[in-house]
Amino acid sequence: MPTLATLKARWFWYSLLCVLSWGAWAMLSKLGSNEIPADTMQFIFTFGTVPVAAALLLARRFKMERSGKGIFYAVSNGVLSGIGGLAFFAAFRAGGNTAVITAASSLYPMITVALAVTILRERLTWLQVVGLGFAAVAIVIFSIST
Amino acid sequence: MHLPPWFWYAAVVLVAWGVVGLLQKLSTNYISAESSLIWLVVGFLVLQPFLYPGREVFSYSTRSLSWALLSGVFNALGAWALFAAMKSGGKASIVAPLTALYPLVIVLVAPIILHESINLLQGAGVVCALIAVVLLST
Repeated sequence: MPTLATLKARWFWYSLLCVLSWGAWAMLSKLGSNEIPADTMQFIFTFGTVPVAAALLLARRFKMERSGKGIFYAVSNGVLSGIGGLAFFAAFRAGGNTAVITAASSLYPMITVALAVTILRERLTWLQVVGLGFAAVAIVIFSIST
Repeated sequence: MHLPPWFWYAAVVLVAWGVVGLLQKLSTNYISAESSLIWLVVGFLVLQPFLYPGREVFSYSTRSLSWALLSGVFNALGAWALFAAMKSGGKASIVAPLTALYPLVIVLVAPIILHESINLLQGAGVVCALIAVVLLST
C-alpha cells in the first residue's frame, strides 16, 4: 500500500493533479481531433499553453530566477517535446502501423527511468520495479485501446 | 538489417520524450516549477514555425478550435503540476511513469462524457494502472 509518508508527500498529490489535468487534455484533444488533424492540433494547442505561462508570470510579478542552467533545461524540455511530437507525426506519414507507433512511443517513461537511475543515481525498491512493469502494461493497453 | 523509416521516427519519439523526463527533474533542481513551466512554453513556441499547417487553421469550426486551445490550457496545468511534483522531492523515475498513466482518466470518464463503454482490455488496463500507482507510491 502507499505508505502514510507518501500520502502526506506533496509530490504525490501534484502527480495526481498532473494525471487529472493531462486526462482532461487528452479528452479535449480527442474531441478536437474529430475535425482537426493531429499535427494541426499540436500547433493550436501550443497557443492554449501561453495563457497559463502568462498567468504564472503575472503571479510572480515577472520575477524569474536567473539560473542559466535551469532556463536551458526548461527550454530544452519544450523544444525536445516538440521534436518528439514532430517525429511522432512523421512516423505515421512514413506508413508505420498506428498501434505499434503509439504503443512504442507511449513507453517513454521507461527511458526516463533508465536515465534517472544511471545519471541521477535514483534508486528504486523492488516493489517499485514491479510497479513499473504494471505501468508499462497499462500504458500499452491504453495506447492501443483509447 | 534494414529497418523502415517509421521505426527510426518512433525511436526518436521515445528517446526525445524519455530525455524530457530527465530535463524536467534537472530544471526543477535549479528553478521553480512556475519558471520551469514558463520556459517550457517558450520552448514550445520556438517550434511553432515547423508546425504551422497553413491557412486551413482558420477553416475549422470555433467549437473544435476551442477544444484544441482548452486542451493546451490543461496540458500546461498538468506540466506545472508535474514540475511541482519533482520540485517537492518526487523522483523522476517515479513521477514520470506515474503521470504517464493519465489515459486512465479517459477510460474512466469516456463512458460518462462520450457514452463509450469500457471493454475488457481497457478494464485490464485500469486494474494494471491502479496496481502500478499503489506500487510506485510505496
